[in-house]
Amino acid sequence: MSQDSQLSRSRRPKWHYLAVGVGLIVVAVALTVAWGILAAPESAGPRAVAPARVLAYFFGSLLFLLLIAGLVLIVLLLLREVRLNERQSNFVSAVTHELKTPVASLKLYLETLEYRDVPPERRAEFYRTMRQDIERLNATINNVLNAAMYTDRPVADPRPLDLARLARRAAELTLTRHQLAKTAIRYQGPDSLRVAGDAQALETAVLNLLDNAVKYSRDTLLIELEVWGDADGQAHVRVRDHGIGMSRSHLPFIFTRFYRIGAEVRRSRTGTGLGLFIVRAVVKGHRGSITVDSPGPDRGSSFTITLPGLLEPEPESDGAPEAARA
Amino acid sequence: MPRVLLVEDEEHLAAGIRFNLELDGYEVETIADGLRAVERLAPPPDGAAPEASPAIDLVVLDVMLPGLDGFQIVERMRQAGNYTAVMMLTAKGLPEDVVEGLEAGADDYLPKPFDLPVLLARVKGLIRRREWARGTAGDTAKVGPAVVDFANFELRKGDALVRLTLLEAMLLKLLVERRGQVVTKAEILEKVWNLNPDTETRAVDNFVMRLRRHLEEDARTPRLLQTVRGVGYRLSDD
Repeated sequence: MSQDSQLSRSRRPKWHYLAVGVGLIVVAVALTVAWGILAAPESAGPRAVAPARVLAYFFGSLLFLLLIAGLVLIVLLLLREVRLNERQSNFVSAVTHELKTPVASLKLYLETLEYRDVPPERRAEFYRTMRQDIERLNATINNVLNAAMYTDRPVADPRPLDLARLARRAAELTLTRHQLAKTAIRYQGPDSLRVAGDAQALETAVLNLLDNAVKYSRDTLLIELEVWGDADGQAHVRVRDHGIGMSRSHLPFIFTRFYRIGAEVRRSRTGTGLGLFIVRAVVKGHRGSITVDSPGPDRGSSFTITLPGLLEPEPESDGAPEAARA
Repeated sequence: MPRVLLVEDEEHLAAGIRFNLELDGYEVETIADGLRAVERLAPPPDGAAPEASPAIDLVVLDVMLPGLDGFQIVERMRQAGNYTAVMMLTAKGLPEDVVEGLEAGADDYLPKPFDLPVLLARVKGLIRRREWARGTAGDTAKVGPAVVDFANFELRKGDALVRLTLLEAMLLKLLVERRGQVVTKAEILEKVWNLNPDTETRAVDNFVMRLRRHLEEDARTPRLLQTVRGVGYRLSDD
């Protein structure tokens, strides 16, 4: 099919191995059944069956079943390996693109400024473009580094932090980064909500969610950012967008490293497939959980981070006047 | 004024390339989406009259595009009988990718990040090469059982009509012009592909094989388009 792009042609042989595996399973099952019929103790009369024969029959069947189970296991492992391989090669493709595109753009504008007579107003525009390219490059580098840095291991040194304020700061940063109107992100929640954790890691997580919300929005850019604490001592952060959403079949996979929806050569959104992986790693490091929901394509999606370890409000800390209202 | 269609989804690159092409005196049209590019370049036969949109002299095509990738776009173009010169631009600069792009029917290939002067020179070169390969009107040559019409990039063998890409036509033209002599691979790379003669690629061999399929009775035992081992290729006299 033309759906399989040219680039995936090189990966196809692995599917042949899988076919061999599945074929072997079928053969093994067929053999087991045939053997079972042939070697089954004759139904002539229960008396005629020697106990040794029954024992042999029993163990033979068991060995056959073991063989089949082993084959199934190997095929499943192979399948996983093939998928991982595919994702990795997609990742390399994505990172190459994410790194080379801004570099290509920077080089193009630099050379244009060098070789051409650029009128001053265009010049200012070019500088703006170049600054954005540098931001993008920096974001990709950070993403790759964060993916290596944040693991599921528990945060080594959790400290008290204000999750509400952290979320608001992430929102502001997102607005500036994407040059959005102030109304694009609507914050709902207390002025202060204290939890214990790694502030930088959590900010990265919230930033990644907000970044995605912007990236996967269409014309209506309205993102709802909610923060709340519940009676069970858990803190929640929810990021909801009204963007392209996704079909339910993708939901279980989106937190997987390198996972991106669709083939990389037909990419429609920038990214490396690391953003949500980092979010999940950070959240797991805080012994929290992340859930996603999307009613379907074009109906937006919402991500909710749940963190344990809600702390008592401490009005005197941080000297934040807003804390008083919480 | 030559018209260039720029298919690139990265806004910054599209704006920068457009700015430079326009300064060099080209008319530039931009499309940011693979499916729309195909609509423009390979419209369905029963679709809206293509006359409405002006003819394009060169397509500068990105590989990673939303909707449909660059390789598929070139393939569809060629299938639809559109033989406009195509230069592919891509961040994937591995030798396999270059060959893949050329195999899909692209005429030139430039990895990102590229040098601005190189891009402009290649664009100019492709538009000029087209003129050269086209030659003067009625420029035809007989090659074995086939007749090649360089003006229309066509190869006619009996009733069969084969459309040639710019590169195929140029390669054939070079061999026809030097009929009976050996043309080295380095020279072919330089003159037809505009590549450094030292480039390690099987692109020339692949193209020769393709031409053989059109020209030879049996492509495996070529009699017209001969390989001169370790040197290059020769188009035999008869």
